[in-house]
Amino acid sequence: MAWLTESFSLPFMQRALVIALIVGAVGGVLSAYVVIRRLAFFADTLTHTVFPGVAIASVLVQPLWIGALIAGLASTLAFTFLSRQRLVEDNAAMAVILTTFFAVGVMVVSRVTTFTNDLITLLFGQILTVDRGDIMASALLGGCAVLLTSVLHRELVARAFDPEGSAAAGRPVWALDLALNVAVTLVVVAALRAVGTVLVLALLVTPAATIRPWVRGVVPMAIGGALVGMSSGVIGLVIAYQASVERDVRLAPGATIVLVMTTVFALGSLAVWARRSIRHRVST
Amino acid sequence: MLPALVLDDMSVSFDGALALQHVSGIVAAGDSVALIGPNGAGKSTLLRAILGLVPLAAGSIEVLGQAPKAARRQVAYVPQADTFDPQFPISVIDVVTMGRAPIIGWWRRPRSVDRRAAAAALERVGLSERSRDRFGTLSGGQRQRVLLARAICQEARLLLLDEPFNGVDAVTQTTLIDVLDELRANGVAVVMATHDLAVAHLACGDACLLNRDQIAFGPIDEVLNSRHLRATYGDRPWVHVGDQVILANAAPSTR
Amino acid sequence: MIASLWSSIDAVWSSPLLRRAAAEAALVGVLGGVIGVHVSLRRLAFTTMALTHATFPGVVIASLLGWNLVLGSSAFGLLVVAAIALAGGLGRLDHTTTTGVILAGGMALGVVLVSVQDGFSTNLSAYLVGSVLSTSGSDLALTAAISAVVCGFVLAAHRPLVASAFDPAGVRAAGLAASAVDVGFLVVLVVTLATAVPAVGTILSVSLVVAPAATARLWTDRVGTMLVISPVIGALCGAGGVILSHWWDTSAGATIAAVAGAVFVGSTLISPSTVSLRSPGRSARRQTALR
Repeated sequence: MAWLTESFSLPFMQRALVIALIVGAVGGVLSAYVVIRRLAFFADTLTHTVFPGVAIASVLVQPLWIGALIAGLASTLAFTFLSRQRLVEDNAAMAVILTTFFAVGVMVVSRVTTFTNDLITLLFGQILTVDRGDIMASALLGGCAVLLTSVLHRELVARAFDPEGSAAAGRPVWALDLALNVAVTLVVVAALRAVGTVLVLALLVTPAATIRPWVRGVVPMAIGGALVGMSSGVIGLVIAYQASVERDVRLAPGATIVLVMTTVFALGSLAVWARRSIRHRVST
Repeated sequence: MLPALVLDDMSVSFDGALALQHVSGIVAAGDSVALIGPNGAGKSTLLRAILGLVPLAAGSIEVLGQAPKAARRQVAYVPQADTFDPQFPISVIDVVTMGRAPIIGWWRRPRSVDRRAAAAALERVGLSERSRDRFGTLSGGQRQRVLLARAICQEARLLLLDEPFNGVDAVTQTTLIDVLDELRANGVAVVMATHDLAVAHLACGDACLLNRDQIAFGPIDEVLNSRHLRATYGDRPWVHVGDQVILANAAPSTR
Repeated sequence: MIASLWSSIDAVWSSPLLRRAAAEAALVGVLGGVIGVHVSLRRLAFTTMALTHATFPGVVIASLLGWNLVLGSSAFGLLVVAAIALAGGLGRLDHTTTTGVILAGGMALGVVLVSVQDGFSTNLSAYLVGSVLSTSGSDLALTAAISAVVCGFVLAAHRPLVASAFDPAGVRAAGLAASAVDVGFLVVLVVTLATAVPAVGTILSVSLVVAPAATARLWTDRVGTMLVISPVIGALCGAGGVILSHWWDTSAGATIAAVAGAVFVGSTLISPSTVSLRSPGRSARRQTALR
């Protein structure tokens, strides 16, 4: 276990670890709701629509997270409103909006800044350079996101499994959708410095997707998702550090974390398939 | 003459559980059989088995003396109209012309004889004036008629229909029954899944009662009696009206 | 203002480099426009998104090994298609979630592979937004050849493609190998994306596949007409985007995608209202009211 403590002996790695744990946990919890509502594409669209606002804010306002939060919430409000009009329910319309917003964001960045570096940082994070302020911001935003979903838990689950029933019972469905979208946005901003806007989707989908075949119920999914998210963070950082120090191979840490998470998902899927084949063979 | 359909003690299973078992019966040319039973009874499964889309766990099916997959050219399937995307950019006449594909192949352009057949079929169901409209702009009953026209085009010997009378208007119901009667007079055999017992009486001569198991198969007047219905539908309320049997509601079985 | 626009048009027209870029962008627009019609019919927008993200590692591996980027990413893309099909059968998850996992995972793999090499930022952004301005003569020739083949396929397979998109169960019942058509289409889609990515980048190639077709759908109710309007829109967005990017001094790939999106949004506002992408319930109500 020496490599574990060794990997986190340096302050910047410790900070990276803390933010990875926060973001992994928060993303993991949110992913339960994203998965039961089948919102993976919607979440993908949301993360891309938030991007231009974040790009503009990164130029105008420091620290990054305040501007990103304002811009992100504005985009989310606009996008939720648009989808209420049912104009963007169709996947094609969402795809167009997603790419257009993203393109606008790239155009802004290309005009205003030293293009490539800032673009990459916004898109993929830079977990090794986070400071205390970033950690506090992530904890705050992530905490709010989890609080929001905990308070609305029963409503969110009802909305997922019985949408007509919820609407018929007079629940303000649009407010619920807005709340979930806001929670997702908070996670996106919280994860900005860690994994960036493109890879945060993994945090919002893969943990619950991995856990789902093994548990019953949304709360276990959320807890299991948080555990998957956190452990992927730890393992990913260790791998990135060891690769760099032992073998002189540079691996982008944020992307490595996501890769670990996806590998766990793949192994989990194989295990599910194996379990089903064995059961089938036993019963026939 | 070769029977259109021979079912011999057939069974189908999904995921290790039997979805349908011990179904037997013979459908001759010109016969029409109503498949009756609650939701989940296996009506759609039986139709899919006749089309060769699901493998059999036991028994056999012969369509016009051949295995189901070999006889596909001769079997036309009419699905429920609401399974289609109403926004799809396809016109009514194009949907009907699709029915010629089993005859000419999927890759060739329709010839004028095909276009004439499609136009005639659309005329038969009374929707010629809607021929250029988008399929999704028609009402449910009208779409169901278009799908029947598509099946007519195929010039098949066996027609399979999945709940064709579900929620359709009176004009559609009359048209469907008339067209099916004409087809039967020309020797086409009809198998129709339905849970509307009144319409089954109007449209079909025989009935097959299903609830995962086959309860009965025979002339509709004989087979639709209280005992069989109780076995099919459980304790759901139904009444005699004259010599017809009407279900109070056709809600899904709790089994 | 107009003078600047005109001078940009003039610049693009007279510079061989920019002319090639505009031609490449226009060709990719045609390619995307044609394939995009069937992507729209089959509701494969999200899958397209996933394919561009997931084939990204293929582009990186190809460039690491010195292979042709289009071929390399095509090969990887076919692997991804197989993975998506397999994943659908393995777990109990819905298609959307599995696609989301593969999308993010593929992207992460690509980023990690890029990070191993030097020049992380420049390489990565080239993959993301493309480098249409560095189109060579042979790139253009390859794109033209692929466009011709893809358009040929779409024309020849028109009836099976439309029929299996409209009524997959029905065509299977009638004996058409619907799954073969589906797989064939995905292969052609992968090749299209592999061609578009070097030009306009991963995320933005989705734009040229989805937006022109979505725009065409707003203007016509017939697939045949869509197949004409969509590539024309695509070509105009491509070439127009290059010109505008010169005028505004912005990233070319991003400008092309933004133009395509703006054209779509503009069309939603001014196109005839009986045809729309609105949810079925709403337009059905409108239909009965009109009649």
